[in-house]
Amino acid sequence: MFSTLFLHRRKLFLIFGLALGSVIASTLVGDAKHWREIDWLDVLGEGGSAVAVAIWMLLILGSRPAGRVTDLLTLGLGFIFLAMWQDNLDEFIRIPAEQWWDAWLESVAMPFGIALLTYGLFHWHSEQLSINRQLAKRERLFREHRFIDGLTQLGRADYLKEQLQQHLNSCQPMTLMMVDINDFSAVNRRFGHREGDRLVREIAEILLLNLRQSDLICRYAGDRFALLLPGTPGEAALQLAHELELAVRHFAFKHSHSGETLYQRISIGLTECRPGDLPAQSIERVNQALLTAQHQQRCFLAA
Amino acid sequence: MTMNPGRWYERDERMIAAHHQPALLIDLLLARDISSHKILRGSGLFYDDILTGSHFISPAQLQQLITNGVKLLPDDDLSFRWGSSLWPGHYGVFSQLLAHAPDLERALQTLIDYRRFLSPLLVPRIYQDERYCYVQWLDACGVQDERRFMVETAMTGLTAMSRWLAQESLPWRYGFSYAQPKKDEQYQVYLGPDLHFSLGVDVMMIEKHWLKKAWPRGSATAFQVALREAQQQVSGTLPMQGFNEAVYHYLTQQLRAPQSLTEVAQAFAMSPATFKRKLQKHHCHFQQLQDQTRLHVCLYLFHINGWTNEQVAHYLNFNDTTNFRRAFKRWSGLTPSDSKQRLLFA
Repeated sequence: MFSTLFLHRRKLFLIFGLALGSVIASTLVGDAKHWREIDWLDVLGEGGSAVAVAIWMLLILGSRPAGRVTDLLTLGLGFIFLAMWQDNLDEFIRIPAEQWWDAWLESVAMPFGIALLTYGLFHWHSEQLSINRQLAKRERLFREHRFIDGLTQLGRADYLKEQLQQHLNSCQPMTLMMVDINDFSAVNRRFGHREGDRLVREIAEILLLNLRQSDLICRYAGDRFALLLPGTPGEAALQLAHELELAVRHFAFKHSHSGETLYQRISIGLTECRPGDLPAQSIERVNQALLTAQHQQRCFLAA
Repeated sequence: MTMNPGRWYERDERMIAAHHQPALLIDLLLARDISSHKILRGSGLFYDDILTGSHFISPAQLQQLITNGVKLLPDDDLSFRWGSSLWPGHYGVFSQLLAHAPDLERALQTLIDYRRFLSPLLVPRIYQDERYCYVQWLDACGVQDERRFMVETAMTGLTAMSRWLAQESLPWRYGFSYAQPKKDEQYQVYLGPDLHFSLGVDVMMIEKHWLKKAWPRGSATAFQVALREAQQQVSGTLPMQGFNEAVYHYLTQQLRAPQSLTEVAQAFAMSPATFKRKLQKHHCHFQQLQDQTRLHVCLYLFHINGWTNEQVAHYLNFNDTTNFRRAFKRWSGLTPSDSKQRLLFA
């Protein structure tokens, strides 16, 4: 879960080292308060916030690769954490006023941290925009990580239904395409599931490369992919289907141990989505079209 | 009339070769980068035991592996992927039998005769009428919580095996005891479009002429040789049926004059208390099993014998059809006429 944490161990040592240092320094120079003097509501509020900020920092580090944006976000949250931490220590320990660093940690670390975090978020925004461009064919204007398929990183059938519902409300023509790898179970039987998994992943990449920026591809189930082509009438989509069929036919998939080339064929069923259709109706029609396509061994557009 | 229920295996008997079907399931999870200790958690199994190739596990342990798998890969098609490589498999002479089966009929008979080795959790039974062959899947030893998983596995298994050996897709139709799952995409892709839910019984059906159609991969001679070897390997005393299956089968025989728990316990040569404990261990109740057998027999009489409500009610010794309809509704959640509609598969 936190597999990327170790990449950031230096930053973590710095932040938590400073936090520990401030505890030691405060106990050395200050006097402990009597427990009756402690305002527990403050402790809970300030201490709780400090802990929450530390958790945010760990979550960010645990989910991001190393890089400038990560550094900025971490250091920003780190300094905010330090300021709150010092503030909280004051509740337990009375520190003499001549200790300049106590006030400095509290009042300088906070704005400094906020400035770093703001700057970091600005760069994160630019980074996110460029990632969105990369993801455009995998997700359209709506993100839900629970709908992502773990093997291909494409949206699952739930995501397809969601998108289909949104597009069915608009009145431009749209075509739904179902792509199935021929004889996929034979690949699994002959070469094992690891090769089968890899084949599904690589065919997904081939399909992605041959789509337009406006199209969406999802993994429907097993070796079946669903493609949503907004603004495309059936005949134009059929042309695209032929291109996909050719692309996969010429894809030389290599067995990972023997290096043997395994050529694959796909079957494609298509249907135009009609206004007023329910997502389930379009999907049922396109699955039927796919059965016909498999039977006739050519791309088939259902009327 | 009483009959001998025969011998049976129980949930906690170590009778499943760990390096056969369980290892296949573990491999599917390992291929998705899940660590073996997570897969085996709570099952009392060690990965090294499986590697020895001579370790046996109980149905309960296999069920624990399934539960772990479902938890580790939620929303996945684990059951379908396990099913698609389950048979013929690499289980010695029993796999050879399946692989050489000359046609569907003998492949099915192999699955039934050697179900202890080929399908120990969910076992097949066959019925036929003039037009169709029905393959019903029954819980052998209390797989209750993972029943749906096992139904998906077994049905995908038979579908994929018959497609592989026949070298063409067979037009199977599928009926499920449970309601249509919200996500039925896997069913569409792995099984096909002919799916029927909420039937009260898990059944596959196919037109009978497919039973005898010769399979290109089959070999009658190799099949005969393997059959002789299999018969030698399996001694007469080895129980072929699970405990739930044995009780189910016994109750089916006694259907017209239903017996009390005490009488059934006696037939199984135990005290009523022991019998009850055993049922509990196998995750079922006496009444529930009795209702289930009656429902299944009703479905059989309706659809295979083509009987009317009156005939079935009379056969089961109900005083009138109103009582029968009420009872049927309690067993299946449907009225007899609704049920007939659904099973028409039209």
